[in-house]
Amino acid sequence: MNLFKRFSQRLGFMILTLVVMSFLIFLLVEIMPGDVAQTVLGQSATPESLAALRESMGLNDPLMVRYGHWAGKFIRGDLGESLYMRGIQINTIFWRKVGHSIILALTALIFYVPLSLFFGVFAGVKAGKLPDSIISFFGLATMALPEFVSGIILITLFAIKIPLLPITSIIPIGETLWENLNILILPALSITLVMFGYVSRMQRSSMLTVMNSDYIRAAILKGMPRGYVIFRHALKNALLPTITIIGMNMGWLFGGLIVVETLFGFPGLGSLTLSAIKTRDVPLLEASVLFITFIFVVSTFITDMMYLFLNPRIRFKGSDS
Amino acid sequence: MKNKSILEIKNLDVEYSTLTDKVVALKDINITVEEGESLGIIGESGCGKSTLSYAIMDYLPSNGLSNGKILFKGENLLEKSPKEQTKYRGDRIAMVYQNPYSSLNPSLTIGFQLDEVTMFHRGFSRKEARNASIEALKDLYLGDAAGIVRRYPHQISGGMQQRICIAMALLCKPDLLILDEPTTALDVTTEVVILDIISELKKKYNMSLIYISHDIGVINKVSDRIAVMYRGEVVETGSQHTIYKHPEHPYTRALINCMPRSGIVKEEVRLNAIPGYVAKRSAAETGCPFVSRCEKKTLICQENYGLKESKANHFSSCSRAYAEDVPDKERTRLKIPLENNVKEENILSIKDLYKYYGGPGKKVRALDGVSVSLERNSVLGVVGESGCGKSTMGLTVSGLLKPTKGQLIFDGIDIAVSWRKRTPEILKNIQLIFQNPGRSLNPSFTIETIIGRPMKKLLGIKSKTERRKMVIDILKKVDLGEEYLSRKASQLSGGEMQRVALARAFSISPDLLVCDEPTSALDVSVQASVLNLLGELQQESKASYIFISHDLNVINYISDYIMVMYLGRICEYGRKDEVVGPPYHPYTEALISAVPDVDPDSAKQQIRLEGSPPNPTKKIKGCPFEGRCHKKIGKICETTAPPKVYFSDDHFVFCHLSPGKLGAK
Repeated sequence: MNLFKRFSQRLGFMILTLVVMSFLIFLLVEIMPGDVAQTVLGQSATPESLAALRESMGLNDPLMVRYGHWAGKFIRGDLGESLYMRGIQINTIFWRKVGHSIILALTALIFYVPLSLFFGVFAGVKAGKLPDSIISFFGLATMALPEFVSGIILITLFAIKIPLLPITSIIPIGETLWENLNILILPALSITLVMFGYVSRMQRSSMLTVMNSDYIRAAILKGMPRGYVIFRHALKNALLPTITIIGMNMGWLFGGLIVVETLFGFPGLGSLTLSAIKTRDVPLLEASVLFITFIFVVSTFITDMMYLFLNPRIRFKGSDS
Repeated sequence: MKNKSILEIKNLDVEYSTLTDKVVALKDINITVEEGESLGIIGESGCGKSTLSYAIMDYLPSNGLSNGKILFKGENLLEKSPKEQTKYRGDRIAMVYQNPYSSLNPSLTIGFQLDEVTMFHRGFSRKEARNASIEALKDLYLGDAAGIVRRYPHQISGGMQQRICIAMALLCKPDLLILDEPTTALDVTTEVVILDIISELKKKYNMSLIYISHDIGVINKVSDRIAVMYRGEVVETGSQHTIYKHPEHPYTRALINCMPRSGIVKEEVRLNAIPGYVAKRSAAETGCPFVSRCEKKTLICQENYGLKESKANHFSSCSRAYAEDVPDKERTRLKIPLENNVKEENILSIKDLYKYYGGPGKKVRALDGVSVSLERNSVLGVVGESGCGKSTMGLTVSGLLKPTKGQLIFDGIDIAVSWRKRTPEILKNIQLIFQNPGRSLNPSFTIETIIGRPMKKLLGIKSKTERRKMVIDILKKVDLGEEYLSRKASQLSGGEMQRVALARAFSISPDLLVCDEPTSALDVSVQASVLNLLGELQQESKASYIFISHDLNVINYISDYIMVMYLGRICEYGRKDEVVGPPYHPYTEALISAVPDVDPDSAKQQIRLEGSPPNPTKKIKGCPFEGRCHKKIGKICETTAPPKVYFSDDHFVFCHLSPGKLGAK
């Protein structure tokens, strides 16, 4: 009962956030300098043809009407027509790139989450000792390196010195990502390097807090073996803050990898968004940004639900005797 | 014939190495606990009581170094490998901690945490372990044991959590049970029940106990022998009767005397405070640890000294407790009792005050129709279990909370609004003191800023030099010197901080001071000096106090009037002597009986209150106390609100019982 209430409450918040954000995105693109009609027709267009295009695109309607129109189309799944590539439906290119991004993000998640959790827990348990210092140093070093630096180092190492993997992540024309899965490894590794320090440090410090808590002391003095105490008593509590961090970075991972995608030439949502900005392709930009927002909101929602599952204090709140 | 000893500690030293130097936590401890015996360890915080218990469990922080022998049934625990240790911990030696809530894992069910003990130590199957857990819970009189094992720790009350911790410790029937302040975080009524259960189970399983507490009343209830610790040393051991009646060490005597207890009131004596505080001990220090605070010290105290057997089974490292070459300090009274009982005018009248928390449906009735008046120049003590609404009352009077309904007439003006809407004059006249001075004083401000700020804001004194003069004056009144002006709050000890909080409140001479558990976070020796100071300042300034505390002895010492609260309502109100003696409300009677006595020889009839206060979100038609009352009449208590019965002009009780049944002669 309580669980359901919380679930529906969160769901409601999620939808509200989406509506507000979509309006903000719409407004932001509206007030951006530059005339859409001018962009489409070029500098030499006559005032008459500009006016005619504005009329035909509905640019002269009141703001709210245009927003309603725009949002309605989005809900129906019609993302509109690209401005830069005239006549091409955004739907035809957009979802393929989103798919690529999701596959890359999942690969990166599979790489960095277990790695950083494992080493974070390990460092937390061995706090102050040599393994802790090594892990902390490595984490700090990779965190300080921007992804374009670590990416270049990875390319030099694994594509040039030891030619194991392709230098760029471009999919040859006529082929799909599934036939070229090896192009995922280098971008995913460079994301792992960025995230590892961040997540493992978080995990280390929450592990440390939990290991110093009264209930861990009680478990040890009950005569429980150390490994059992760590995995059965400490881990579940120590995962909570880390899950928030991973969840908060989900949006970035799925849609904000502009630097990584550009560096490797990976055909994903990030590079698509970048080209939409460069070519002032408003409908494409709106679709990309709204989708990234959507991912952010959904991953926050999932994080909340995970929290609920792991933390009985929230799950059973208010059912006190 | 001597009994077999379970635990023998020989010459135990524990040191902590910090970055700069070594701190002595325990020094030359020699203690024996015999089979079936219970040893009480008493001392202030920082005296090494807890360190001793963790040393026995061999669970010291990584910078702690122990030296000596801890023989458990003849085997030295300090020489065991980590793997061998797990065979003792939780099985042969078990421990119960001060804070039950934080000692239970929040994300595992209670059943899981109980079962694992027997699964590991006894090799039980999941099912056998569950049965053993349920049996253990029944031992502790937990009604719905089968239901409790499925719950999570946060879903049950503090008293039940502690019973679960005790059940957990007893699962393997240990030879030695260490209890580290197990009832300090609980209400007195719950404390009584827990202490009874502990004594009963000790007999049943013939266990040895080590019971650690700062409260000699509690120690008396459960121990056969008492060891007094001070700054890492055992300074005196003996039977509870000897320790109380014939203490030999000046610290033991001072510790017993500084505790407010039944019968000690400010009209008769000033509490015996111990000057100073428990300081850290460096490795270089020799001689008596108490010498810097001792009233009976002489030149020989700095030289080496040690524990000597003065009488049979009575060891003490000093015998100057009653030494006559240094005379006892004269005990003066704090207040001269008024002979003719002149009534002063009321400074505050609370009329039908309500405060609800939370929204509709889940309304918590924190104050449920409270009406009471406070005279000028008097102290009103407010007492009750946690959750009875006493703090809420203090917060509404001070304006930090806005009451839901009702009037607060202060000096003829209704102030039932939040502090934002009060005039500076009223803000100045009502001041507040909190339980934890460490958290209510900004740690990065100097004492001068902290005390000077209300002068600047509420008295409008702009000149800095003038303010400084006033701050120095007020510091003198709370026995702090000029050197404190530039110190930061974080550099002071707990007692000093509470003095600063007092100085800040009195710096603008308020008419009313709300004290919310002002001494609960302090050690008893410091509590005594703060209580004395509060009394002196009250006499001098003629201000009124609302003094909120859960400790009936403290309330009885400092108050002129006492109000007993239960579930947001008044049970009883009256002059101090009228409330603590019969006729009284059954709840007052239960509270008074629950307070552990400092004198081990006093035989007090005890009333055991079962359960905990009812859910405050429910609307109560009858008497709120009916579910736990030992004098309940019947249906009428559940259906009809009890009438207000006057025993004298200013003593009333809300109860259906006739005055005769309430103990009136």
